[in-house]
Amino acid sequence: MTEEYEVEFVDLGEREATFLVRPITPAFANGIRRAMIADVPTFSIDTVRFIENSSVMFDEQLGLRLGLVPLSTPPGEFEEGEEVTLSLDVEGPETAYSGDLVASDPMVEPADDNIPIIDLKDGQRLELEADAVLDSGREHAKHQGGVAVSYRHLQTVEVVGERGEFAADDPHVLRGVIEEQEADAAADADAQNGDLVPTDAFDNDLTNRYPEKELDVHDIEDAFVFNVETDGSFDVETLVLEAVGSLETRADELKEAVQL
Amino acid sequence: MELRVIEKADTMLSIEVAGEDHTFMNVLKGALLETEGVTAATYDVNPEQSGGQTEPILTIKTEENVDALDALEDGAERVIAKSQNFREAFEAAA
Repeated sequence: MTEEYEVEFVDLGEREATFLVRPITPAFANGIRRAMIADVPTFSIDTVRFIENSSVMFDEQLGLRLGLVPLSTPPGEFEEGEEVTLSLDVEGPETAYSGDLVASDPMVEPADDNIPIIDLKDGQRLELEADAVLDSGREHAKHQGGVAVSYRHLQTVEVVGERGEFAADDPHVLRGVIEEQEADAAADADAQNGDLVPTDAFDNDLTNRYPEKELDVHDIEDAFVFNVETDGSFDVETLVLEAVGSLETRADELKEAVQL
Repeated sequence: MELRVIEKADTMLSIEVAGEDHTFMNVLKGALLETEGVTAATYDVNPEQSGGQTEPILTIKTEENVDALDALEDGAERVIAKSQNFREAFEAAA
């Protein structure tokens, strides 16, 4: 009934990944992208109770900084709106870092330990209790799990002839991922037709890969290369699967509502 | 998800889908256009500050022998199938 998808990873890290999906419609690709940005909930500090703040900054300023600290969010363990308490107690002279936050629940802790919150001088002290709440990017950008999520067409390069003898020696800059279709003309001896080549492999300049050739660049229809980066609340795999899951849940709800 | 029928004929349906935005509506519209028996599908949504109808309104037209409400159900099923296929492909590759 519906098409089968093919997913191929160009690069897979814990917080950053590049992968190709095909055949996928622009509508569905954009739905997944938008869901990754706005609909996958993460924990973020939302309420702070200051017990002592003798630092040089106002409570509100520190509250804003605390809100922006990414907190690890295990999928499926918490409901949206649930809260987890963290505390912090640092006395100067010392810098208070995100790593100084102590979580009441070990599942929810700062994703990075080295985010400076404030530099405390001799005699200054910061002690506080903070409630982190699980919410989505739709509500506030601090709850965004995907910080850089984008997609673009997979492209392919066609050799249409030789470069003219007196043609300008300009670079031909291209960014993204190309599918190799002209392996014979490529400067890389190991090139095979069908290879996925990130453009930074040839310094984003097609003249490096296909020297002395006249080229045409085409988009490949219904093939999209996603680039996904998370804030560390969870890994890329979790983000993508949660986003697709949120679309599926909504379709499920719609189906049930229609049947009534 | 709350639905409110605005207009309903045998081969035509206009329905408000409360609480949704472009994220889901465009996926649904795209799936409906691929569904058999659907001749037209579109949605309209106004900005929050417009003060009027701010929930998206989905409009479907279908061929004569197809009920528009059934078509909507098929469209939703199609989104579910797409999601499941995507998840399987992604998990297999990761």
